[in-house]
Parts: sequence; C-alpha cells; structure tokens
Amino acid sequence: MIQKIYKINWLFIFIVIILASIGFIALYSAADSNFEPWARKQIIRFCVFFFLLFFIALVDIRVWYKYCYHIFILSLLLLLSVEIIGTFGFGAKRWIKFFGLSIQPSELIKVGLILFLARYYHDLRFQSIGRFRFLLLPVLVISFPFLLILIQPDLGTAIVYLFLGVIMMFLAGVRLWKFILSSIAGLSLIPLIWNYMLHDYQKRRLISFIDPESDPLGTGYHLIQSKIALGSGGIFGKGFLKGSQSYLDFLPEKQTDFIFTMIGEEFGFLGTIFIIILYMLMICICFYIAFRSFSNFGRLVSLGVATNLFINIFFNTSMVTGLMPVVGIPLPLLSYGGSAMLSVMISFGFLLNISAHSGQKNLEYD
Amino acid sequence: MFFSEKKNQFKTFSRRSFFLLIIKLILFFFVGLRLFNIQITQSEKYRTLSKNNRISLKIIFPKRGKITDRNNNTVAKNYDSYELYVIPEEVENLESVLLKLNKIVNIPFSKRKKIILLSRQVKKFEMIKILDNLSWKHLEQIEANMIDFPGIHLLLSSKRKYPFGENFSHILGYVSKPNKDELSLPYISSMPSLEIGKSGVEKHFNQLLIGKAGKREVEVNSIGREIREISKTESIEGGTLSLSIDLRLQRYVYEILKEHRSGSIVVMKVSTGEILSMTSVPSFDPNKIITIPNKKYWDTILKNELSPLTNRAVQGLYAPGSTFKMVVAIAALEKNIINSNFFVICEGKIEFGDKIYHCWKTKGHGKVDLTKGIVESCDCFFYELAKKIGIDNISIMAKEFGLGDLTGIEVPSEKNGIVPNKRWKKQQLNENWYAGETLITGIGQGYILATPLQLANMAAIIANKGKLIKPTLIKSKISNDISGTPNKLNISKDNFSKINIAMEKVVNNASGTAFRSRSNKNDYTFAGKTGTSQVKRITIEEREQEDFRKKEIEWKNKDHSLFVGYMPVNNPQYAASVVIEHGGSGASVAAPIAKKIFDKLYKLGI
Repeated sequence: MIQKIYKINWLFIFIVIILASIGFIALYSAADSNFEPWARKQIIRFCVFFFLLFFIALVDIRVWYKYCYHIFILSLLLLLSVEIIGTFGFGAKRWIKFFGLSIQPSELIKVGLILFLARYYHDLRFQSIGRFRFLLLPVLVISFPFLLILIQPDLGTAIVYLFLGVIMMFLAGVRLWKFILSSIAGLSLIPLIWNYMLHDYQKRRLISFIDPESDPLGTGYHLIQSKIALGSGGIFGKGFLKGSQSYLDFLPEKQTDFIFTMIGEEFGFLGTIFIIILYMLMICICFYIAFRSFSNFGRLVSLGVATNLFINIFFNTSMVTGLMPVVGIPLPLLSYGGSAMLSVMISFGFLLNISAHSGQKNLEYD
Repeated sequence: MFFSEKKNQFKTFSRRSFFLLIIKLILFFFVGLRLFNIQITQSEKYRTLSKNNRISLKIIFPKRGKITDRNNNTVAKNYDSYELYVIPEEVENLESVLLKLNKIVNIPFSKRKKIILLSRQVKKFEMIKILDNLSWKHLEQIEANMIDFPGIHLLLSSKRKYPFGENFSHILGYVSKPNKDELSLPYISSMPSLEIGKSGVEKHFNQLLIGKAGKREVEVNSIGREIREISKTESIEGGTLSLSIDLRLQRYVYEILKEHRSGSIVVMKVSTGEILSMTSVPSFDPNKIITIPNKKYWDTILKNELSPLTNRAVQGLYAPGSTFKMVVAIAALEKNIINSNFFVICEGKIEFGDKIYHCWKTKGHGKVDLTKGIVESCDCFFYELAKKIGIDNISIMAKEFGLGDLTGIEVPSEKNGIVPNKRWKKQQLNENWYAGETLITGIGQGYILATPLQLANMAAIIANKGKLIKPTLIKSKISNDISGTPNKLNISKDNFSKINIAMEKVVNNASGTAFRSRSNKNDYTFAGKTGTSQVKRITIEEREQEDFRKKEIEWKNKDHSLFVGYMPVNNPQYAASVVIEHGGSGASVAAPIAKKIFDKLYKLGI
C-alpha cells in the first residue's frame, strides 16, 4: 500500500490542486466577491471527490479491470433513464438526482467508455483488432450513447464522447483506412443529422459561428462578449475581482463554459497561458504514466484520460476564443458543475491507479 | 510468435500515441497563439469595446429658452407637464393597476391593451408612457393614492406654450420633433427626441433657444440596466430671445387685421429697423399644432385655401401699385430727367404704341406736376415719367430701396419679390421687353412684386431720407436711435424732401387720396401713399361702362388694397405697410387701417 502511495504521480495531484484552486478564485470573483452561490459548493465537491480519487487510485487495478464492463453498463443505464424520464413528459433533463447531487450521466459515461474500450482492446489479440466483427461492439458502444446524448440535446458532450471513442480505437491499433472510410460515412450523415437530429437553437449556434458579428445581439453575442472580455484583459489582466465584463453580466454562463474568459479578463494573457501550460503538463504526465505502464489496459486508460482531458480543454478554450462554435463544453477542474468535476476526478482516479500499479502485468486474478 | 505480436502492438501504440501527443501540443499552440492575438495584439480594440459596453451616456434635455416681446412680456414659454409612466417590473398585476387608474383618469381599453402588450416586449425596467399632459385634478388624485399604484411614476417634462396664440403665430412659429435633415444639425444631433423650432423665430434661433444638453454617464450591465452613476453634467437652459415686437401693438394690429379675410401689416421703427408688429391673416394657433391630438387641426389648416401657415408679411407677393410711384419719382429727380417745373396734362389716358393706357380717374387730372402726381396718384403722369426714365433706371432705383432682395429678416422662407428689367425678362421668360411694360411698371403694376415687409422698409427709407436700415425682429441693444454706422443712399436730401412733402399731402391735403384717413392735427400728422394693386385685368369694354367700379366684383377678383406711410411727418419714428388682399382701393380700406395703427403708436409712444 505504501509503495502504491509512493508510486502515485504527486506532481499530477499538485497540478490538480492548483487548477482547482484557480477555479475557486474565479468562481468567487464571478459571484461578485462572494462564496455563494458557486465557490463554496465547488470547494466542498472538490474535497469530497478528492477522497474518491484516492479511493479509486488505491483499489487494486484487477478489481477495476474486472468490473470495467459493469461500470460502463451502469453508466449507460443511468443515461437511458434520463432519456426515458425526459421522453415521458417530465421535460428535457440532462441530469438525475443522486445522493443529493445532480449528476449528468453523459459526463460519467465518458469514463465508462474509457474503461470499456481499454479492457476490450486489452483482451483482444492484436490480429483480431482489424477484423470486422470485432469492430462492431466498439462502434456500438460509441455510437449508441452518442446518439442518446445528441438528442438530449447536448451537442458539446456528444461530440466529446464521439471523439474520445474514435481516438481510443485509433490508439488501440484499428487500421487507418477504416477511420477514413467511417469519417466519409459520418460526413454523409451530416445532412441527415442537420435535418432531423439538431434542434433549431443548435443550428443557430453553428450558423452564428461562421459569422458572429452579423448578429451581435443574437447567438453570436456570447462569442463577441467573450472576445471583448479576453481582449480587454491584455497582458496582465484587469486584476482580481476587477473584471467588468463578467461583473456586469456581459459574459454568459461565466461560471461554467466561460470561466476561462473570466480568468483571461482578470489575469490577462499571463493567466491564460499559465493555465494552458498547466494543462499541457497534465497531458504530458498522462503520456508518461502510459509509457510506464506494463499493460495495454493501463496504457489505453491513461491515454483515454489524457484524450478526454484534452478534448474538453481544447473545445472549451477554442470556443471562448472564437476558434470553434459555442457548443457548451465545461473546462475541466475550473468550470462550476458537479458532474463534470465528478467525471474528471474519477478519470484522474483511474489514471493514478494506473500510475500506482504500473508494474502490474497480469490483470486477472489467478 | 506471441511475443512478436505484443511487440508489434506496442510499436503501433507508441507510434500512434506519439503522433497524438504532437497533434495535441500543436493544437495547444494554436490556442496559445489565438490568445496572444486577442489579448495582446488586438487588446486595444477590445479594451475600447469593453468600455463602450460598460458606460452608457444618457442625455439630459435642456429647457428651451423663452421668447419675450420688447417689454419683457413672455410670448413663448415652457410649462411643466406631468406624464404618467409605469415600470413593468415594479407591478405585479399591470392590468388591475391600469383599471384602478382608469377610475381616476380615463385610459381607453385599446390603450390599456397596448401598454400591457408593450410591457411584455420592452425590458422590465424600462418606463412605458401611459398618459401625458395630466391635469392638476388628476395629478392630485393620483398623488394622493400613490400607495395603490405601485410601479406608477409621475415624470415632469417641459412643454412649449404660446400665451398669445394666433397673435404671434407667424413670428414665433412652433416646435416639433426634428425630421431627418434637421437631425444632422450639430446642436441637436445628440438629442433626437428633443423638440425644435419648425418655423418663425423658433426655427431661425434654434441654436440660441435649444441650450446645451447635460449628460449622465452611467455604468450599465449587459441588458442596459443602470448600475451606478459615474458622472453628471447638468443641462443649460436655452437663451432668452427678446423680440423687437411690442405686444400691445401686435395684439391691436391683429384685432384690426383679422376683420379681413387675408392680408398683412408690418410696422417698424425707422431709426433701427426693429419690427414692432408683423401680422398676417389668416393665422393659426401654434398651441393647437403642438398639442396632440392635432390631426384635426392640421386638416383644417391644410384644407384652408388661404393657407394660414403662410406668413404674408415676408412670403406674400403683391404688385405695389401706386405705392411704387415714389421710387419712380425719385429716379426721375435723381437722373435730372425732370425739374420742379415739369408737368403733364392728364386726359385720363395716354396712347403709346398701339395701346391705350388709362389713368384711374377717367376724366383726367388736367395739369399735373410731381407733387400733384403723387398726391392725387395720377397714372398718366407716371406713364410719362417711366417712358422718359426707362425700365433699367427704374429697376436700379427699386433695388436701392430694397425691393427684389431679401431683407434678411429672422424668419425662414422669406421671398425675394421681383424687380423686372430687360435682362430679367429675357432670362426668366425668354422674351424681349416691350416699351409698354415700362409704363405699367411705372405705376407699380405688371411684373413687379414685393412683400409687405419690403414695402414697409421702402417707406422707412423714404422717411429716413435715404438712411438704410436692416429690418429685424430682435430688440435693438442700443437704446438711442442711431444704430451703428448706417449706410445712406446716394440721393440728395432735396429730392427726398420733395417726396416727403408730397406724401404728407396725400394724407393731409384735401385733394389727397388718403385725406379721409388724416389724423387729428393737434396730436400728430402722418404721411403715406395709397396703392391699389390690380388682380384682374380690366377690359376696355368694362372700363367704358361708366359704372364698372360700382359693380359688385367677386371677392377674389377685387384689387388688393395697399398703404405705405410713416409718422410723425416732422421727425419720422415709425413706418408701416398695410396690404389687404382683395380689399378694393387703397384709399378706402388700407389707409383707414394705417390711421388707426398710427393713432395707437402715438398713444403708446414706443
């Protein structure tokens, strides 16, 4: 046990704490120098999930390996239940109540997917990976939840989920031409998705991305305001608690999707680039852990966590800087929100578990 | 075999994960680059946008300056008007509050519906106007029951009022919301909802009267709600405009003039050019134009074919008729074409070319010299004179007396009038000048046209013996009678004296055309000249019928009745022109009116 604790990557944990703390500070500022309604809750959640992270990290890797599929199926059931409640006239909901905590199953299922694919490809012999019948199951576990999340509708999470699954398959060794083929198939589905799957507000968001300035008070408004906030921050920022854009409510969803903008306004380019560097460091640590792991499972879980982390960060930051459409993806560790925090901390738990069990080759109980 | 498979798998994984890492780092680099671009390269631009986002400028409207007559009587002022507003977010049930209000002051159902509809469209903290111009009675009742009306606010606003209504309408004009062109004026562009002067001196002196807007810089949030006030500059009330008009005279003149269907009277001070009274009928009530609802009133004004909005004093064009004869006489004297011994035998008509030109007195005046020509207004005498002088000399002299040119009076849309000559006719009508037209011009008929203001100005110059003045509606700051360095016409005083004597005799000599309108000699005497401006050409057949003058002529075919004059004779102080449209002869209508006005001036001693 002591050896495990020793082998846990403490640098990673240190970065997690720093980033989460920056998040608390930003939430405090977003609420106009107030711990309510966001900062206090976020701190409590972080502390609770921090213990969860250690619990996951220290439990024997073979236990997790054994229950990978169970975890995925559990999260899929949760997702389905949200869907069913939504369909039966309780209004569109993305979350369910769980021990007094509102949880979005769409966040949890990302972790489930990482575990599922890691175990699936760990078990599969290398020659079999390319076989068509062995592709069916992974494609199913990616596409079915993807569609469920898409019709919620939660375009952002759905895209993250899809990318995560595809990249993991790519890492597992699925042939490149199969990706090219399926992306062509995917592209041909776009008109279908556009016409039947996307809600009007989602279409508007995508259109407004192309030319946000054309409709400054409509959907492009968020993006312009976000750029104004970031730009007016300059190099050093306006100073802690002095961001006028967010304080005057020009920033939409400043506590969740646009928290990065808020930080950028108050702490400037130095603040934003500092955060980007921390994230890069975290991802590099994921790769480090992956290459230290003796098992294929461990490698895939590590890079799955890295990929999940990266997609969220990249989508969020490029969204608030106008590189991508505004699709509502939270920034890991910084954005306010229980489910995202829970999902991220659980995934870190598994990452550190890999780190703690890096020498483990055989994952099945003898 | 198994080992190499593992090895292969690891190789693929390594390659692909390395590739992935590179991609991720590159994408991070792009995000960083983008941040650099927004936060450093374009920072200045976004900083400005951020400031504009945050700070909103609210205009505080200035009060419009008031307008007074020359004795400080207010003729245009502001009054406080209370407007009723509601702020939707402060009301729980807007409909019931409006219903309660309806018990005090009538709010029609349609209006209530409109307000409720509007309350759903505007931002919740924005004010919606319910009523304006609240009466005192209603104001008191609402104030007393304010507790029952949450979210209802009373707001003070400033409205224009013209206490003397129709008396001053053409001089003052009225105010209204600016139109598109007017919005480009620098002093109102920032206040698009502020009323500005639309005609009269209200328009001419907009810049003075409007004042300076104050402003409040307020910090607003994303939906425009005020967070706090940053700075405040109070507005500056517009300047007071002191008119040269004398309220007492203006009202008196209007009372006389409104007996007639249409016409205009201008009275001015000969020493300074100050207009003491300027009247035009039919008139209108500017208060009714600016008080909504005004559609009905507008309709009646626009339907009236006499066009009450026209200020006849500066826009009405009339042939001056015999009042022009002084100008012709002075031209003849100055050109040394005639001397004191010059005379004409008037036989009631003269032949010229193949046409016959009639004198108004069909029997003829007999032997007529210059004085008699003016006193009895002999047309034949002036036909002869005009023939000798020529049209170009007549037109040069007319221009010297300010005819055919704008006087520069401070109201908009003044008209030039016409002083014809050969070149003018060629340019305007592309026809040659006929010698006969010179004769007609000699008695102030034909193409020549002048405004009543120009005629009063002409009379003032004659009274001044050539000293030029500039007609103005603004009270002169110099109290004594010498305004600056006056220009003088290069005409000999002797020649003016001859005209002055003749004009005195027009009124005070038993043979004068205006003798019946003479003043009481113990008080003062005035001088002048009657004029009758032909509207319809009278045919020879009509003229040959002895009784054509007695015939009832249709009103609109009747001649315009004119009189110009000044008083007192010895030391002229005031000049006046009277034009009564279709009034008949100058002697019978315009001259008696002039006498009344001069009497009033004598009594007032302005």
